Amino acid sequence: MSAGRFDEVIHAPTRLAIVSLLAASEWAEFKFIRDTVALSDSALSKQLATLEEAGYVEIRKGFVGKRPRTSAKLTQAGLAAFHQHVMALQEIVARSGVTILPR
Amino acid sequence: MNSQMHPDEAARALAEIQLRQRQVIDLATLPRWYWWTVGALMVVLAAGVDTGNRGMLAVALGVFLLGLLGSTGWIVGGAYRRAPLRNDLLDQRGVLAILGFVAVIVAVTLGIAFTLRATGVSHPATIACLVGGVMMGAGGPPLMRLLRRIMLSNRAGSPR
Repeated sequence: MSAGRFDEVIHAPTRLAIVSLLAASEWAEFKFIRDTVALSDSALSKQLATLEEAGYVEIRKGFVGKRPRTSAKLTQAGLAAFHQHVMALQEIVARSGVTILPR
Repeated sequence: MNSQMHPDEAARALAEIQLRQRQVIDLATLPRWYWWTVGALMVVLAAGVDTGNRGMLAVALGVFLLGLLGSTGWIVGGAYRRAPLRNDLLDQRGVLAILGFVAVIVAVTLGIAFTLRATGVSHPATIACLVGGVMMGAGGPPLMRLLRRIMLSNRAGSPR
């Protein structure tokens, strides 16, 4: 198993929420992410663009009927970086002896 | 930043990760009404079989298929369209739980149906599917709770 690696791109609070949602799903609709994380369209677009630039997220734009639909998916690199980031956080917590109660 | 991060902040980040993943898992939970609908549709189909009338069987089969496609389509078109779950959240335990649930219902339903038919009771398929349908309706939500627990234990950041 690879060691934890803290990731500054992922750790920003809003991006952490977005990547966590994407890590549990095959892909997620733009609207779902926006509503769940409580962001405006432009704020979410900006965060997704940052993640896309890092190679962590793939944005898909398509149509369902005549309606445009945008979705986001974590790339393999994004998923690997997320898991390493989680490990890094767990290592920090484990060293201190703090207990995390599942939510 | 890693070395400077306070453990409390790391713990809060891990809690946030777990919360967000739980939101996706909860989205995929099948509602109670779905299980009872499938159970009721089983009874409708069996009642059609028991009439021995081809016309009634065709009607029952139509209701069964339309009901199943409609209710499943409603679920898939809603939650699953927004953020389908990653397959790896449901490990072998989850797959075994689903297969076991289906196997028990099929075994009990067929067992009752053949026993009733052998003893000459009328409407054996309907009575058997009534039992199977109740098992489906009553057992579906506990199965869903078990699957949810398995998926929560498999999400990133969970203690293994």
